[in-house]
Amino acid sequence: MRLEIGAFHVKDIVFGDKTAYNAGVLTVNKEELLKVVKEDEHITTADFRIVHPGDNTILCPVKEAVEMRCKVSGGHGIFPGVLSEMEVAGSGRTHCLQDCSLIVVGEHAGGFQDGVIAMGGEYQHHTIYGDMVNLVLVADTDEDFERHEQQKKNHALRWAGMRLAEYIGQCVKDLEPENIEVYDLPSIYERSEEVNKLPRVVYVLQPQTQMEAMGYNTLIYGWDGNHILPTFMHPNELLDGCMVSGSFMPTSSKISTYEFATNPMIKKLYEQHGKTINFLGVIMSTLNVKMDEKVRCVKMAGQIATSLGAQAAVVAEEGYGNPDVDYTAMLVELERLGIKTVGLSDECTGRDGASQPLVSMNPATNALVTTGNVSQLYEFPAGMEVIGELEALARDGNSGGWEGCIRPDGSFIMENNGMFCANMISGYSRRTCADF
Amino acid sequence: MKAIHYINQFFAGIGGEEMADQTPVFHDKLIGCSMMLNAMCKPDIEVTNTIVCGDNYITNHTEEALKEIFAFLDTKEFGIFFAGPAFMAGRYGVGCGIICKAVSERYHVPVITSMNEENPGVEEYKAAAYIFKGGRKATFMKQDVTPMAAFAKKIAKGEKLLPAAQEGYFPRGIRMEIPQPDGIMAADRVIDMLLKKINGEPFQTELIIPSMEKIPPAAPVKDLSKATIALVSSSGVVPVDNPDRIQSASAQKWGKYNIADRDNLPEGVYKTIHAGFDPAAMCAVPDRGIPLDAMRYFEKQGKIGKVYDWFYVTVGTGTTQAFAAKFGKEIAKELHDAGVDAVILTST
Repeated sequence: MRLEIGAFHVKDIVFGDKTAYNAGVLTVNKEELLKVVKEDEHITTADFRIVHPGDNTILCPVKEAVEMRCKVSGGHGIFPGVLSEMEVAGSGRTHCLQDCSLIVVGEHAGGFQDGVIAMGGEYQHHTIYGDMVNLVLVADTDEDFERHEQQKKNHALRWAGMRLAEYIGQCVKDLEPENIEVYDLPSIYERSEEVNKLPRVVYVLQPQTQMEAMGYNTLIYGWDGNHILPTFMHPNELLDGCMVSGSFMPTSSKISTYEFATNPMIKKLYEQHGKTINFLGVIMSTLNVKMDEKVRCVKMAGQIATSLGAQAAVVAEEGYGNPDVDYTAMLVELERLGIKTVGLSDECTGRDGASQPLVSMNPATNALVTTGNVSQLYEFPAGMEVIGELEALARDGNSGGWEGCIRPDGSFIMENNGMFCANMISGYSRRTCADF
Repeated sequence: MKAIHYINQFFAGIGGEEMADQTPVFHDKLIGCSMMLNAMCKPDIEVTNTIVCGDNYITNHTEEALKEIFAFLDTKEFGIFFAGPAFMAGRYGVGCGIICKAVSERYHVPVITSMNEENPGVEEYKAAAYIFKGGRKATFMKQDVTPMAAFAKKIAKGEKLLPAAQEGYFPRGIRMEIPQPDGIMAADRVIDMLLKKINGEPFQTELIIPSMEKIPPAAPVKDLSKATIALVSSSGVVPVDNPDRIQSASAQKWGKYNIADRDNLPEGVYKTIHAGFDPAAMCAVPDRGIPLDAMRYFEKQGKIGKVYDWFYVTVGTGTTQAFAAKFGKEIAKELHDAGVDAVILTST
């Protein structure tokens, strides 16, 4: 399977008469975009903002982040099985507005799974979005059935984000990309002798799929991840939009739709392919709440890895706490099968740092990379501009906020838990944990 | 900022083992290594007092020792508390640990000490104090006091404290998020670790999962009828007066008691001092902890050659792995030297 990512490096986004891209500047017409947003009658109010790295601005409650793209050839849409017909992603040409993202922020209501992004100050680099220019949709909906629910599907807003990403992406459909990234990985049986001599590696992804009610979990081609069994996939499918981030789990341990499609771990494995490793592909697994489901998925994923002849695996867990059981079990099972593993996830060490960092631990997991600590406390000064409603952090059951966490002067304290996709389980994180 | 320093009888120049029962003495003028510590702490910290206490007194009469020391500290103003360095000296290390933990809990000030990694006080008290990694003996005094003073100065100046590995103290069981020191992103760290693991090269995990040391079991006894068997136990069964003052929890020592002339352990002559269970049943029949009666039966039957003349005992509850391993090695050596063939290890 061969995928070409045609890159357009966005240095700035501005409002203008016509939605167009020219020489690093993305111009967007607000009225046009509002029409796209209002295609969903559940969206009651909407506005757009543009934020830049270094702005003294906080976004809250952030629901989603998406890379703006369009499918040029090899498919019909950037979210197959969701916004367009079901077809396998990962072939042909996709044009991407890189180095920027589209962010969806609730105008008022937040929830457990929503987050905070800081564009400036001490925590600017705690999300990848603090380091890029972002187009921000701020909107409200009439989804009253969940307005006062801690767990929100955020359906209208998340789908508005996807429609916008696809609509805006169209402006580079007929342009010549500034550079083209090529992701070409043939069938396992059609690889050269040199490649076949290299250690065979799989990427095992455990996306967040623990919610038993539908509408909250990570989607794979629009299908709720809770309803899949481990499946072998081509890495290009992920890089080309087969995954849509869910609306469940404390946000810092989540992988945004942006990150699922730009997945640096997959890109690094691709980089090594043919040099140091033979990158077999992706085993898409799940995270479950019931023990028998955890065991079933781990055993089946292990069987797939064995049948593929995998000798090493990278396992990434989108979550913490209960899913640590699935994470450790997957690493242990693969090691038991003689497959050398490296784990990629975050830790939860408690406010005092003294808690066991993973719910389930096993000495067989001897190679773990840590991306952050959900319990870490972050102090924000007063005086930052807020896009959205900061009170949502304290009022709406956010996983990193609590009643009283915002002080009368506007300064506030929060846990890492509530920082939007801050622990970058996709592999972007430049943080770790250490013993004190 | 002011600081107070705790040392033992030996480093105060009072004496060695013969003075280990010394009760606390409080000095307004610094003595011993307190002077070196103070010189290194200047000008950010002034060490105002030296407290001296015998190692046996603080470890065997902890409650009384702390009461006396608290009565003194209650009248003092201090922002940091030092103890040691204790090097390899086991009882001194434990004493430093006891006082640091107690001072931290009562006065909520940073407590700093130093020990060699083999000092049993490390395992017991590393969560309760900043224990810096120290040398094996007193010739390392200057080398060990230096990081204690440097770290205290950082605290006094409000400087950012680095992870344990960089500062040089034993991790206290606390993990916090930090920026990746070399700024490398996680996906690259995964690749690096993956390639090293695949190629069998050494690599460093970012989260160490503690592992249990696996001890291979000894070979089976060839002929039981000729074997000398010893009884070893963590049941806390001792002569009623507990002559070795083994602690009822978090034991730091073991005892051995002669049973050559006994067929069982009678009530009232032996009892358990173990604080981890209701002792009534075991005090009524101490053989429930040390099954001498059953062993004598097998001895008479000729099933076993001989019951060894001494039993060895400690208390298991709350006892750290480090102490347990130390006891095990010490006891095993004695039994080995005595020609004992096998051990029955009873626990509770």
